Amino acid sequence: MSRGGNILGLCVNAAVFILLEVAALVMLSHSGPVQNLWISKGIHSVQAFLWGGAENIRNYFSLKKQNDMLAEENFRLNRLLLEYRQAAGKDIPADSLSEVSGGFRYIHASAVKVSNNKQHNYLILDKGSEDGIEVLSGVITSRGVVGIVDAVGRHYSYARSFKNSGMVVSARIGTEGPAGEMMWDGVSSDGAVLCEIPQHIPIHPGDTVYTSGFSSVFPPDIPLGVTGEATVVNGSTYNIRVRLFTDFSAIRYVTIVDNMEDSEIKELEDIYED
Amino acid sequence: MKTNRNVALMYILLVVAQILVCNFINTGPYVFLTILPVMILCLPLAIPAVPLMLIAAVSGLAVDWLAEGIVGLNVLAAVPVAFIRNPVARLLFGKDHTDRAEGFSFRKNGFSKISAAVLICQAVFLAVYIVADCAGTRPFLFIAVRFTASLLCGYLLSLFVFNMFTSGENQ
Repeated sequence: MSRGGNILGLCVNAAVFILLEVAALVMLSHSGPVQNLWISKGIHSVQAFLWGGAENIRNYFSLKKQNDMLAEENFRLNRLLLEYRQAAGKDIPADSLSEVSGGFRYIHASAVKVSNNKQHNYLILDKGSEDGIEVLSGVITSRGVVGIVDAVGRHYSYARSFKNSGMVVSARIGTEGPAGEMMWDGVSSDGAVLCEIPQHIPIHPGDTVYTSGFSSVFPPDIPLGVTGEATVVNGSTYNIRVRLFTDFSAIRYVTIVDNMEDSEIKELEDIYED
Repeated sequence: MKTNRNVALMYILLVVAQILVCNFINTGPYVFLTILPVMILCLPLAIPAVPLMLIAAVSGLAVDWLAEGIVGLNVLAAVPVAFIRNPVARLLFGKDHTDRAEGFSFRKNGFSKISAAVLICQAVFLAVYIVADCAGTRPFLFIAVRFTASLLCGYLLSLFVFNMFTSGENQ
């Protein structure tokens, strides 16, 4: 007999076997009360196992949806926290808080592509001009600066990553410390260098570095990383190594920040530069 | 044709014997005597698995109905024996023997192989039967003792039945 015939024969045998055993179990459950209880218990155990398994599988496949929901929730809470912090710092009553806080508009987005291992890294985000994204908007997470939007399509946008030679972020040590320019060190995945910190200011390793708010791209007081070793440059300023909080290899959800007052600032700058 | 009729007649008589054993021989709670597994084992190898399972189910049902009281218990235990009969025969006696559909006998197959086949069939039957009969109400120790005692007694009885059933093959 061919192999196919063997398999078919085996399937028929198995089907008849299962059928006869099920029939025997049905007869048994109708015949003895103890056996009836035993079989019911067995059926319930199997049902519980199958339902539990099905529920686990369903949960597994709904993880992405739940993750997205949590990210949305996290984004809302972070924005609320920022608003309350600003309100507390500036004595703004909580009921006067607006949707756009501190002159910045916050838009939640997901990174659909992340380049990480080059000298010029980038991100593709799933929000575009139809979602209100504009060029030169900042890209952040709760753990630091991620990049700047360079180009915008209808549904997607292209952002230059912070891990990019030539990308500079204005940062300060502590919330009220000295400010300088911070850039990627070009070597490590979580390393940056904070430059132009005056030498007369005492620097302690382990201090937190925040965005200064001096650029029109990023709002102030976003934690970026912690300070490390400092070296004197040209006898007048420090270059300080910074260990970034952001894990660029694990970026999935980001927040795009758009400065609503950017055009007004630029107009003023243009007037005085002319 | 005559041989087939003899086998059928012998089989029916043994089913009747099993009914009588169940009805009139009280062996206590630890020993359960059955010859259904060896009867299924002794049926001609030419019978395919599906008819064999049907024969086993009908035999078990007859014993359940006319002797035991709990309908379905012997059916539940006999069908797996029929299901594994051909693979066990192929494993122990070789593919050539099963393909030629030759009958079994101590003389042709040897005592050890026949004993192993009887033990396997008896063990499968008793495992299913005792677990379903106790239905989770007895401790493991009781089940283990009952299984061992029944297997031992059933094995001896089965060898006798086997010898009787295959007496034509021995000549």
